[in-house]
Amino acid sequence: MAKKIRPDGKEKVTGRLKYLTDLAFSNMLYGKILRSPYPHARILSISTDKARQLPGVQAVITHKDVPGLNGFGIVTPDQPVLCKDIVRYVGDAVAAVAADSVETATRALELIHVQYAPLPVLDSPEKALEEGAPLLHPNGNVLHRAGFQKGDIESEFAKCAAIVEETYHVPRQLHAYMETEGGVIVPEKDGSLTVYVGTQHGFKDRFQLARILGMPEEHIRVVSSPMGGSFGGKDELNIQPYGALLALSTGKPVKIHQTRQESIRSSIKRHPMKITMKTGIDQDGRLRAHQTTIVADTGAYATLGPAILDFAVEHTSGPYMIPAVDTKGISVFTNNGVSGEFRGFGGNQVTFALEGQIDRLAAAIGMDSVEMRRLNIRREHDLGPLGQQIAETNGALDVLQSAAAVYAEKKPSSQNQDRWKRTGTGMAITMHGGGLGFGRMDPAGGRLSLKEDGKIEISFGFEEAGQGILAVIETITTEQLGCAKEDISIMIGDTSLVPSSGSTTASRGTSMVWHSLQRLKKPFLQKLLTRAARKTGTKEGQLSIGPGGIWENGECRLSFRELASEQAPIVISTQFDFPVSPDPIDSAHFLYTYSGVVAQVEVDLLTGRINVTELHQSLSAGPVVNEMGYLGQIEGGGVMALGYTLMEDVIMADGHYVTENLDSYLIPGIKDVPFNLQVKAVESLPAEDDYGPRGVGEIGTIAVAPAIANAIYDAVGLRVSQLPVKPETVLKSTEERGVLHGSQSSNSGGN
Amino acid sequence: MEANHQTAGGTETVSVSFLLNGEHIQLNVSPVMRAVDLIRGELDQTGTKISCGIGRCGACSILVNGKLAVSCLLLAYQLEGASVITIEGLSDQDEVHPIQKAFLEEGGFQCGYCTPGMVMAAKCLLDSNPEPDRQAIQEALSGNLCRCTGYGGIIRSVQCASSK
Repeated sequence: MAKKIRPDGKEKVTGRLKYLTDLAFSNMLYGKILRSPYPHARILSISTDKARQLPGVQAVITHKDVPGLNGFGIVTPDQPVLCKDIVRYVGDAVAAVAADSVETATRALELIHVQYAPLPVLDSPEKALEEGAPLLHPNGNVLHRAGFQKGDIESEFAKCAAIVEETYHVPRQLHAYMETEGGVIVPEKDGSLTVYVGTQHGFKDRFQLARILGMPEEHIRVVSSPMGGSFGGKDELNIQPYGALLALSTGKPVKIHQTRQESIRSSIKRHPMKITMKTGIDQDGRLRAHQTTIVADTGAYATLGPAILDFAVEHTSGPYMIPAVDTKGISVFTNNGVSGEFRGFGGNQVTFALEGQIDRLAAAIGMDSVEMRRLNIRREHDLGPLGQQIAETNGALDVLQSAAAVYAEKKPSSQNQDRWKRTGTGMAITMHGGGLGFGRMDPAGGRLSLKEDGKIEISFGFEEAGQGILAVIETITTEQLGCAKEDISIMIGDTSLVPSSGSTTASRGTSMVWHSLQRLKKPFLQKLLTRAARKTGTKEGQLSIGPGGIWENGECRLSFRELASEQAPIVISTQFDFPVSPDPIDSAHFLYTYSGVVAQVEVDLLTGRINVTELHQSLSAGPVVNEMGYLGQIEGGGVMALGYTLMEDVIMADGHYVTENLDSYLIPGIKDVPFNLQVKAVESLPAEDDYGPRGVGEIGTIAVAPAIANAIYDAVGLRVSQLPVKPETVLKSTEERGVLHGSQSSNSGGN
Repeated sequence: MEANHQTAGGTETVSVSFLLNGEHIQLNVSPVMRAVDLIRGELDQTGTKISCGIGRCGACSILVNGKLAVSCLLLAYQLEGASVITIEGLSDQDEVHPIQKAFLEEGGFQCGYCTPGMVMAAKCLLDSNPEPDRQAIQEALSGNLCRCTGYGGIIRSVQCASSK
């Protein structure tokens, strides 16, 4: 069988694809950004004279050169483009330079003299919340509070046979997209600006840039795809404002491509969180009360910090029905970089804690953890975690059953041949909301045209970061219309050519492409057939769309080119919103995906090193659109989460980055991952479901950490409460309990 | 290395000549220019990528005299007299290399940014070991990081290419 090859595949494997950081223009200059050496300081003076005098330097800009709003941020523009008085993290920009070479621009940065008066560094949420702490923003150091309460928590705790309370710590994760931020910004002859810089939402960048530059949005064109990875990390603006200001000030194209060190210093990261959970279970194994506090270190600026906390709060009780829930979250400003959008969006953190609780509770009452999950799991008609109606599916139970089957098969074979090694198996499940949630603007849309040249053009405002949206668009469009892939052309990633589709985030792309085609298909095909009937003199009812053109009685009567010739293009557009719950509960989601994960680990008792030997993921996200893309998202997401569990932590000390490049910030390499990753899609949906395939960009990253953590417990009896799990932690735990000397059972799980 | 030159601006340059994908290249470069910048910049062969700049990720992998090398840790002048193959040298306009075909068919890439380096590493492996086992694959690709695929697709691609 011929394999379905991605539309962007050949260009990628041959190296011919021009990423936006590969572009070059004549007379192009190179930009560099001067960032603060202090995590918190007052700016006393900025002197750029010497830098300006350096031969080859064409522009030096500071806060004085920002014509519009000196601030950015998708929701709240609280991050200065160029700082004037205060710097709040070591990535804050103070000046930028355009020069005729990277070397000259770099040298010029050294000639900019900025005098700072260092201020106290708030390097933890606890410090930032202390009374008398310096205020990082006018409204104080609390970015956002969120919470959810249902039931009578105290009376439910009173009914419990066991209560487990634990505090979980999760690290600051780097997206580590292979292509660092960059591109070229080109001033056009007509006074407009073309911004060739990757992003997850071209129109949003255009909106933000217009505000900064004091330019009408229509004068800015954002070319935003392809990207060498993003994972949420390029959702917020990064280098665009500096490139744009420098291009406008010099009248020449300006290229900025951050080095990895510059990228780590300035980019957003996954929120570190401290999560305390107190969860109670009755003697029958029913969860009764679940109390959680979440403290998120949001860093210096807002970006989407509030929405991430809301998401974490919503997902705190996961796919379980618990009568009393009390969740309180706080997102706190600090001088620790900037935390923001990252695949999973707050779900990863709370799921690690929740699924840790579930295994501890099962052990506490001596119940099989799978059975306990089954007893408490949500059913098809149950309300969502915030009490909202959600699209009904049996996904939670489906993935639990699927994972339980794998777990049952793997669990008994936990003996290791090597006397210095222990094997363990763990599982975890989760549910994850797609889309932005109730009460948030979440528009989608697309456009289908028969062009003059006979091509059927399908266009969206979505971005290709690597996830495979182009393959999804090709598959859904050809399947829905009945034409061949050669008949269509796909247009994305250019605000001058595509309709607005909303952001390429929140697992919404695949879902919204399918919903768009549902709306576009009928009117488009109708217009095609009406024209075809007129041209051929055949009744519409006898004609249909097929590969190459219009078909009648099993034969192609009219090619699309003939259909298009000498007539105006046929254009059908749609605009609609991502589906939300009928219940008006702020931020609540409606379309959920589900996953069940089983991990097997091998722990070396001598070194403490943990090797994940197997990773099985079962998913419920509706029908699979593109098998290779789906597999890739889940496998890749799983390994990214494996890194989160065992390796990755952007370490900061006193507000400074300690891990500055991929030599100290380690992401999984090929030797760190199971050789055979397993993915099982449970595609079934209720017959009446008309929401189609759900996106799977995030779900593969959510429940992996707790599955590995539970496997570590199974192997060596260590209850993991902090990520990443370091070999030192394993050794300390096993030594304390005498595991190595065999004086105690090493395998506390299940016996 | 040939004689040093002075440019009009007074900056010292050195002459370097080598074969790039079979084509003879001769030019004067700064003695501190990295090979990756020569390839991507002066020679506009942007298939070779730059990501960490310190030899950790393998995105800039090329073959120098048949051996895998990270071009961010090589200086341009060090290519003197060498035969250099980059990703552009593996295929012509119409026909892709069997390894590239395997990556296409087995989902060995997503964003594609690590792919040129990964394909070069796979070529280096398969040139010397046409039927690598699991350990050999892991060893040969251990210097190349991929953030998208989790390596599943890459492993299947190399296995597929090796059986051909």
